[in-house]
Order: sequence, then C-alpha cells, then structure tokens
Amino acid sequence: MLDRRQFTKSLIATGTALAAGASSLNLATAQPKRGGRLRVAGHVQSAQDTLDPAKFAQSTDYARGHMLYNALTRIDGNGQAQPELAEAFEANQDVTEWVFKLRKGVTFHDGKALDANDVIYSIMRHKDPKVASASKGLVDDLVEVAADGTDGVRVKLKSPNADIPVLLGTFGFMIVKKGTTDFSTAIGTGPFRLKEFTPGVRTVATRNDNYFKPGKPYLDEIEYFGIADPVARLNALIAGDIDMMSDLRPNAIEEAKRASNVEVFSTPCPRFVQFAMMCDREPTNNLDFRLAVKNMLDRERIVQQVLNGYGVVANDHFVMPKSPVYNSSLPQRGVDLDKAKFHLKKAGMDNTSIELHVTDAVQNSIEMGLLLQRQAALAGLTINLKREPSDGYWSNIWIKRPFHAVVWNPRPTESLMATLVWKSDAKWNDTQFKDPHLDKLIDAARGTIDPGKRKQTFWDIQSIIYEQGGNAIPAFVNYIDAHSSKVKGLTPVPTGNLGGFNFADSVWLES
Amino acid sequence: MLNLIGRRALQGLLTLLLVSFLVFAGTELLPGDVAQAVLGQHATPESLQELRVQLGLDRPAALRYVSWLAGVIHLDFGVSLASQVPVRTLVMDRLGHTLILAGLSAAVAVPIAFVIGLGAATRPAGVFDRISSIAALCVSALPEFFLGTLLVLIFAVNLRWLPAIAYVTEFRSFGQMVTSLAMPVATLAAVIISQMARMIRATVVNVLSLPYVEMAVLKGVSYRRIILVHALRNAVGPIANVVALNLAYLVSGIVVVETVFVYPGLARLLVDAVSSRDFPVIQACVLIFCAVYIALMLLADIAAIIGNPRLRHQE
Repeated sequence: MLDRRQFTKSLIATGTALAAGASSLNLATAQPKRGGRLRVAGHVQSAQDTLDPAKFAQSTDYARGHMLYNALTRIDGNGQAQPELAEAFEANQDVTEWVFKLRKGVTFHDGKALDANDVIYSIMRHKDPKVASASKGLVDDLVEVAADGTDGVRVKLKSPNADIPVLLGTFGFMIVKKGTTDFSTAIGTGPFRLKEFTPGVRTVATRNDNYFKPGKPYLDEIEYFGIADPVARLNALIAGDIDMMSDLRPNAIEEAKRASNVEVFSTPCPRFVQFAMMCDREPTNNLDFRLAVKNMLDRERIVQQVLNGYGVVANDHFVMPKSPVYNSSLPQRGVDLDKAKFHLKKAGMDNTSIELHVTDAVQNSIEMGLLLQRQAALAGLTINLKREPSDGYWSNIWIKRPFHAVVWNPRPTESLMATLVWKSDAKWNDTQFKDPHLDKLIDAARGTIDPGKRKQTFWDIQSIIYEQGGNAIPAFVNYIDAHSSKVKGLTPVPTGNLGGFNFADSVWLES
Repeated sequence: MLNLIGRRALQGLLTLLLVSFLVFAGTELLPGDVAQAVLGQHATPESLQELRVQLGLDRPAALRYVSWLAGVIHLDFGVSLASQVPVRTLVMDRLGHTLILAGLSAAVAVPIAFVIGLGAATRPAGVFDRISSIAALCVSALPEFFLGTLLVLIFAVNLRWLPAIAYVTEFRSFGQMVTSLAMPVATLAAVIISQMARMIRATVVNVLSLPYVEMAVLKGVSYRRIILVHALRNAVGPIANVVALNLAYLVSGIVVVETVFVYPGLARLLVDAVSSRDFPVIQACVLIFCAVYIALMLLADIAAIIGNPRLRHQE
C-alpha cells in the first residue's frame, strides 16, 4: 500500500520537473497568444479514421485523439511519462502494482466529472475480446485495474513492469466515459470538442472552455485532414492553405527551407534502419562475418548524405546516445577496413559475394545499401543489392532472407523495443539472435525502476547486441515535419511526428 | 427508340451484375482483409478473429456476396466495414463533389473543344490547325499530375492567386467555389479538350471530303453553313462517343487530379477503400462508375441516332 506521504513525494518530484521544463520553454519562446484557427495536414489519408481509442492505429487517429481526449500520463520530450489526468503515480516495491492518483476537477465535454470508473473502463475494455482492440497486446500483462480510495486507480500486473506510466500515456489508452460503446461522437476530457468528423476527409474541433489546464488551449479551432501526396502537402503549406504538416520528405527539405514563411521541424527519435543479418542461417550466422559488416558502415556519411543531416549516428544497437541508459563505454564503430578484412578472412569469406535485400518500403535503405556496397568492395566482399518491391516486402523478405534491410519505428520505451525485437521468442525477432542471458536481462530491465540498476541492465543488453547481435544499425532517422512560421509552441516528442501528434493544447498562432 | 433504351437498360443491369461479381472476386484475391487494415501492427490474433466475427468476415465468401446483393436489390448498400458509416452517406457526399467537378470541367471543356475542333477542320493544314494540333498533342502527352502540380507552383506557390488545394466540404459562396476549383477544372479541361478537339477535327475533315459536301460547295452554300449543318450532323455519332468517353473519365478516372488537389471525390474514395479492403464501399463506387459509363454510352448512341436518321431503321 502507498500512503499519502509517498504520493506527496512523487508529486513534488514531478512538480519540480515540470517547473524546470516550463522555464526553459519560456526562455525559448514568446508569450502564447489566444485565438485563431489552425489547419493541419497529416500524411495519411484513410477511410479507417475512428473516434474509438481502442481502434487507433494510424497517425490521423493519434492527432485526433490528442485533440479530444487525454490519457493518464503524457509522454514528454525525453520519452518519460509526465502527469496528465493522473497528477501522480507510483509503483510498489517489486513494481507489480502501480497506483495513479487522479486529478480533481476534470470534466468530460458533457459536464460529467472524471472518476476512477471511467479510467478503469477505458483501460480494461482493451482486454475485452468483443472490443477487438488494436492495443490488446499491450494489456496482456495487466491483471486488474481497480479503484484505490476515491480518487485513485490501482493497476495490478502479472510481472514487474516499470514502463506502465509510459504505456498508459500512449494513444490507445486515452480516457473515455465509463460504458461508452458508441463512438460516432467523442466525449473526452481533451482540449477540444468534436465539431465535425468525416472519416477519410476531415476532423474539426472547437476549443473546450472547461479544459483542466488553466489558459489552455490557445487556439479557437483546429481542422485536421490528410494530404497523402507529399508534393501537394508542401505546396499547400507554402501557399498558406495549411499551417502545419507531418512528414516532409528529405528530398524536399531544401525547397521548404527556401520558402520564407515555412519552418522545418525535426524530431530526433529512436527510429532506426538496420541491415539484419539472420543468425540462424548461412552465411550470416557467422559472427565474424557480422562483425566485418559492422565495421564497413560509414555512419557519418550516411547521416550527412543520405539523411541530409537529419539523423543520429547509431552504434549497432537500439539505444540513442541521449538516452539516460545509453552505454557510453562501447567504442563508436566507424569504417575500419583492416578490422573488416580481418574478420572476413577469419570467417573464410574474403573475396566472396552475398545478396543484400533493400526496398523503398525501408526509407533510405537503397542509398545506405549503395554506400555499404562501396565500402564492402574495398574490404574484399562483393555485395549484390537486390532491390525488392515495397508491396509484399514484409511478408516475403523480412525475417526470411539472411541479409536484408529493416526499419523500426520508435516504441514508447526502450524495454518494449527490446522485448519486441530481441527476446528469443519474439515474433518480430528479425535476426533470430537467441540468447537466454539476453532474455533474462530484458525481463529484468522491464521490471526495474531503480535508475542505477536499470542503467546497468541496459548497458549489458547493449553490449551483447553490439558484440554478438545480427544488427548492423548505421543511424537513427529523425521525423521531419514543417509548419508555417506563425505556428509556435510545438516541441519535439520522440514518439511521433509533430510533437508525438500531441500538439493540440500547446501550440498557438502568432498573428 | 424506346425499344432500344429498354434493351440497353437491361444489358446495363446485366453488366453491373457481372462487374459486381468480378469486383467481389478481385477483392477476395487481395492479400489481407479489413480486420488487419483496421487493427494495424499491434493486432493480436484474438482481436483479429473477434473483429472478423463482428464484421461477418467469418462467413463463406459466396454467402457474403449473396447477402450483399440482396441488400443492393433493396437499395441498401450496407455499412462501411472500416469506418462503420453507412455506405450511402459516404458515397453520396463524395458523389456530389465529383459531379460538381465533372460538371464544371465538362461545361468549360466541351464548348472549347468544339470551337477548336471545328476551327481546325475548316482549314486543314492551315495556321490555326497546325498550332492547335501541336498544342493538343503536347497537352495530351503531359501527365495530369505534372500539369496540376505545374499550375499549383505558378498560381498558388508563386503568384498566390489561388489556393493550392481544392479541399472543400461545402462551398460557402460561388466566388469561393470558382477560386477553389479553378485549377482542377483547368487541368481536367486541358486534358479532355485536347482529346475531344482532335477527334472532332478528324471526323469533320473526313466528312468534308465526301461528295455531298463538294456538291454543297458547288451549289454555293456558305462554308459556315456547310460545316455547322451539313458536315457536323453526319459527324455527330463518333463525336458523341468521344465526348461521352471523356465525360465518363471525368467521373471515374480522375484520382490523380483528386490527389494533387486534395479534392474529396469518389475516385479517391475508391482507392482508399481498396487499400483498406472495404468491400461494400469498393462495390458502391465501382457500380456508380459502371452505371455512369453505361448511361453515357447510351446517350451517345441516342445522339447518333438523332443525328443520323438511317440508324433508326436498322435491323
């Protein structure tokens, strides 16, 4: 059980963090302005648009969801959970139970006050098979969600999980009213009320005057719609027909920069492209071959030339350098042809050739593959690039061919990423690298809340993947968006484009 | 004449039935289904299975087709599987947009095409004929997305005269409708004018070489009268056909223009529906396109018969 003192402690801690964040924000930006109508164009245009958080599966849903609903927590620029509908949260000793203390005085758009029953319903409905939730895989670990006193909920887990606050801040876990089954409209607690919703066309939402954050939101109205064509999207922004757009293509960055009224908005994030070398089949099951390839990648050049500088050099594992658990003791790999030749010889594969499968479905993998091909030739390995069609790549090539390109979008937490891709029994373990010790470390990391221990566990995870894994990971690829220079208050969040699609209550328009 | 219309309407219905079956079979052959499209990456097998049961996708394909067909006979087009909105609402909204764009484009394009085509035909190999032929060839060789994007770059991005996207849900005023639709209409009109004008010119030139025109010339009939009364009437059959084909294209084939100008029309809805495997929406769109083709072709034939009395007494 948690007592009030513990709650207060965590409150103070989060309060200080918020204050620190707020002051740095004030330095960087001017005083927010009230009013105005924001027109946003996303890069996805889909007739599957929905108002049901359990069916949120695309970026249009994420952006719409953040206008209309809130989650218990909000993911910040460092990927950490911050209080939102929960004003504090804390785990028990062995991290098998989390208690969230709900904020008081929050009301839904129809005037009903938020209470624990709404939260319990919103989370537990994902477990109901009838709901057919898109987030069901994330709640398998949850045993029970129950009321804790008058203003709290207690989340009981099957196994220790330190990531619960972050998971409950993700898109699927937005809070709806207890008993809601009809999602033809949206009654949330969010900064905007639904005014118009046409699937595949647009969402219009107007300011919620009773929003629980004082003074927010700043805008009177938001209109969100999809423009699937990247050229049309940028043209509309430059012509002033929209104020904000997601997904600016790397080849259009220069054009966007030339326009005087447009700003490029880039979000460093743990999205990475890798060349997967499968450890269960010839010839990539040879560790020396894998080490040879890892020493052939010209990472600096890939970031500068292929990504136009909109990326971060990676070190053959999934943790970004700015992460608190980044293993700084592992030497950064670069092009080392002597080492590459040494390992190739040791593998008995010098002067041989191998096929590398690349595709448009993995952005930039063709260009990265060409750079790798050139370095490999110098080390005495012939790489034949096989350019595969996008359609069917994930079913025909991925986790099938020994040497192929893969892109991984960021997951809310590092341990979720590790669980999805590096556990021996993971469905998406695309290198088929299996190590019981690594499995243990990943489970331990998920259940550890102590920062020191967590860091040590993640350091070990990174060094195993770095030394033995089947992943040649050259770079992390930024999200790139663009907006009119009138738009202010947008801050990067590594879980997605446009501030993790959570911009509705923080942006404003400068006249 | 009534006999003909009745027979053609019956043939049309049969065609629609056949098309709906082919579309259904095609949708079944596509990999993946609407449950996968809706639930996305995190989907668990249980969620997928449950959604399939809810949407009735667990029933045999033949049964699903028959029950859909039974609904259509009662004018019930069902509910979109992906968004749970009635297909009728989705489609009627988009159909309205499509008809506005197609109607305006046709109203602009058809008269211009006649003027250019007939003008060129009056003096084959003359200056106007050469210029218009070269221009028409150039325009019809340009893909629509290039023409559309070029217009946007000039008039929206550089000159700032017109909005870059024609995206609308309702038109608030006539002026707003004209500025929003100016570029998409210009793009579409350019494409179909070039085709129609060339066809009109070719047909009329052909007719002008016939002996009865020579007779009229010798008789001293004015050139204008020869073209407008004698020649055009005999050329009406082929011209009506090419005009009808182009109008059908305006309704169903303009997905590229809808994409470039972000115009929420019916063709775009069809493409979206295919990518989410939303069978009732796909069917509704295809049936509308097919019905438009059949109706326009019928109108073209009727026009040909009116223009050429000999056709009335065939068979």
